[in-house]
Order: sequence, then structure tokens, then C-alpha cells
Amino acid sequence: MILFDFDYEQADTLEDAVALLARLQGEARALAGGTDLLPSMRMENIRPAMLVSLGRIEPGEPAVLADGSIRIDALSRLASLENSSFLRNKVPMLAQSAHVVGGNQIRQMGTLGGNLCQEIRCLYLDQKHDYQFVAPCYKRGGECCYPFPRNGRDTCWSVYMSDIAPALIALDAQVEILGESGSRRIRVEELYTGNGLAPLKLGHAELLRAVFIPPAPRGSGWGFHKSTVRGGLEFGMAVIALALQLAEDGKTCADARIVVGAVREGPVRATAAERSLKGAVLDEARLAQAAAEASKEINPLPHHGFTKRHLMDNIRVYVRRTLAQALERARNPGADIETAA
Amino acid sequence: MLDVTKGAKSGAATRSRSRTRLISLCVNGEWHEVAVKPRNMLVEVIRDTIGLTGTKASCESGTCGACTVLLEGRPVLGCITLAVECDGKQLRTVEGLADGEKLSAIQEAFLDQGAVQCGFCTPGMLMSATALLERNPKPTRADINKALEGNLCRCTGYNSIVDAVLQASGQGDVKPVMK
Repeated sequence: MILFDFDYEQADTLEDAVALLARLQGEARALAGGTDLLPSMRMENIRPAMLVSLGRIEPGEPAVLADGSIRIDALSRLASLENSSFLRNKVPMLAQSAHVVGGNQIRQMGTLGGNLCQEIRCLYLDQKHDYQFVAPCYKRGGECCYPFPRNGRDTCWSVYMSDIAPALIALDAQVEILGESGSRRIRVEELYTGNGLAPLKLGHAELLRAVFIPPAPRGSGWGFHKSTVRGGLEFGMAVIALALQLAEDGKTCADARIVVGAVREGPVRATAAERSLKGAVLDEARLAQAAAEASKEINPLPHHGFTKRHLMDNIRVYVRRTLAQALERARNPGADIETAA
Repeated sequence: MLDVTKGAKSGAATRSRSRTRLISLCVNGEWHEVAVKPRNMLVEVIRDTIGLTGTKASCESGTCGACTVLLEGRPVLGCITLAVECDGKQLRTVEGLADGEKLSAIQEAFLDQGAVQCGFCTPGMLMSATALLERNPKPTRADINKALEGNLCRCTGYNSIVDAVLQASGQGDVKPVMK
């Protein structure tokens, strides 16, 4: 039960929704799937005066555009992404990342845009606060940080848990953002500030409209892995998404994008590891070295009971395994390669 | 920063606008007109207003799946769905599975396999399994695990539940364990 009253409007188009959100000046929130927003409202971490429902707006089908890129409506349900044979064929990494989100019901309700715009998570923050007789944390407008007591006032060390954002960043995808003054397109990685207090670079009256994924270049392969404790219905311990591109000779790496999610305030790229792979002839030792570098440079936040050491080991092992997978896929396009268990 | 205080600030304005509204829900083929506030969740309306208490509200934060109902054939969590969002839509709850005294195949299979212990997760499990079998009449064990991933059970250890879904789909040599 949500213990406070709020107003509710249904928008017929995204433009209407943006106009309504702009009029309410930050007092309103957009409601799509609700799987992140409504639990937060239950915990009274956010108390919007109004919800603008996008439930009546039908998402368009994923489509290939003239330049070969794929447009996916931000209101597409995650289940429709994982079950779409078109997407499984064209962008298997996206379908796989949608497949591992939450549980079946969460995927039936949640949307792509909602997944990208989810709130950061923290063991202290994600609980009901009304029976606590201690001061609130920075994120809730207070004076301290419980998981990291020596944290400064301007930092909130909490973790952004989206499984799909790392995959989209590895695919070099862009998002179209609709605001009052029209729409703009930015790369997905530019959506994140890296600051837990305001994790998204989105105004209060801005909504994601669509995601654009560029066509995969020849000789490219992908790898994706989400580490969990139970294997289902939970947030990741570390999410690894990466894309490799081989040069014409089929041995040298032309490009690499390694993204790790669920360990910092936003998805992070292992740029030093990427640089060390570029131009190198790829073999097992090379991949293991890049994975060790990635683990060092990411600097994961201890979260939800996992120590920093544990997360670094996890990243080292799974970056190596997913790199090996990506290399396998790049060498044998069309082969059906099992995703790492 | 989270806006914890904003709702309180605009409280007066909110009270007038968060009025009760009349919505119609088609639950198990029967239309109900109910008065709801925007903050009422679907599971509250189904249980408290319509009076169908088969659907359980357990964690009430979208983590256990006990409140699963079928909204237009899709399994959704009633505890994190606003009732106003479902205006004019078709819902199915666990009460709609049996045809009078005759239980559905999946319900019979749950009884046969001993897939019900305390029974609190059962309505959600049945609805998730029903949605799976409607989409995929011959699921594999892996398909069943994935489809029931959003439903937690603390008693059975899940094996008997997966066996029950296999039995209901008429596959393999899953023998009933309960007589």
C-alpha cells in the first residue's frame, strides 16, 4: 500500500506527458512499468504529487532504419525484447540482457526506458524508513551516509543496477530524449552522471523515447554475463557486457568495448583494458591480461554484502570468460555459442 | 537528491486532485465497477473491494510473486500495479482457473505432486504456470524454471512444482506422488 495520496493522469502521447511533467515542475513522475517507481513510493523514498501514466501509449515495433541502425521504442516491455525473434537475431546481446532482468512478471511489466532510468540502489536506502529513529542519509536530504560513514556530503555511494544499460553501451547505442523544446539524441553512456545523488542527466520533464542501435560491423562478437547469487529474480552482483571487433586478418583486435554494470553509480567502461586490446593479436593470455587490468581500473563499490575484493575477483574472471566468448563469436559468425553460466 | 518532502509541501493541492474514481475491471469474465484512489494497488482492490481473497499479498514490494494475476493474459504483480492503470482491462485470478467444482489440469497436478505445502505462494505459482502453458504447451524444465523465476516458495524446494507443471503439460514420466 502506498501511504500518501497523489494525483494520476493518463497521457495519450509522449508530448502530452512531457507537457504535464513540465507544468508540475518536478512534483510529478512518469509511470511506465512501475516496477521501480512504485516500490520506491511504497518505501516513501520519493513522494511525487502526481503520476503521469504512459500506460495508454502503445510502443512501436522495433524497426531497421535507412542507415541500418535499429530503433527500439523506449516503452517496449522487456518481455517483448527477450521474446522478439527479430531482436534475438539482430542484437542478441540486448535480448540476452533483457532476458536476465528480474523475474518473468517484472519483465512483463517493466519497459526498456524504465530500466535505463531506474533509481540507484543501496542496502540502507531500499527499506521503509518510517520506523527508523536515525537521521536520514545524504540521498534522503540528511547528514550522513550509513554504508560509507566517511563519505563526503556530495557523494552517495550507491549502485546503479540496470542489466540493459551495459549491453547498450557496449553496442554503442544512442537514446532519443524528448523534452519541452523537442528531442535530442545522446549516446547511452552520456545519460549517466556517475553521482548517486542524481544518477541521470535527465530533466524533470524529459522522457526517453527510443533507443538506436548501430549495425554491428563485420567481424564483431559480443559477450554478456550477469553474476547473481540465486540465478533469478535479483539484482546483479556485477554485470559484464562487451563487444569485440576483429580486423580483416581475423586475429588482431580492431575495437573493444568493455562495460561493467552494477558496481558503481553508473555503468563504467574499462578504457585502459580496451586500449590494451586494440591492435593486439588476441589469444588466451592477452584476454586474461586485459581482464586483470579491467578488474583493477573499475574500482567496484562494495554493495549488498559483497566485498570489494570479491567483486574485483568476479570482474576479473567473468571479463576473461566473456571476452573468450566474444572472440569465439567474432571468429565464427552464425555459430550458436552458449552464454557463460 | 530524492524529494522526500515535496509531497507533504503540496499536500493541500494533492488532496483535491487525488479524487476517488470509478473504474471497471473484468475479473474472471465478470465486470466489476469499483471506486479506487490512485494509490490503491490492484491486489488490494481484488482482495478487499471485490472480495476475491485467493490472490495473496505477501512482500508487497514486487519481490515474491504471490500476488501474480493475469492482466490481458500477461502475468503481472498485483502489489506493484496501480488499480487505475487496469481500468477496462481483463483480469484473471486463481478463482477463475477451476470450472465450478472441476479443477484445471494445473491445479490437479499441483495436488498430485504435493506442490502445495503452506500454500501461500500457490495462487501466484498457478497463475504463472497457467500463463506459461498458454504460451508454450510443452515447456522444458528450463522453460519452467525461467517462467516461475519470479515466484518464491519457501516450503517445497520447487522440484515438486516443476514436476506439477510437467505433469499438467502431459510430458515425460512424472508420476503423481500423492494419492
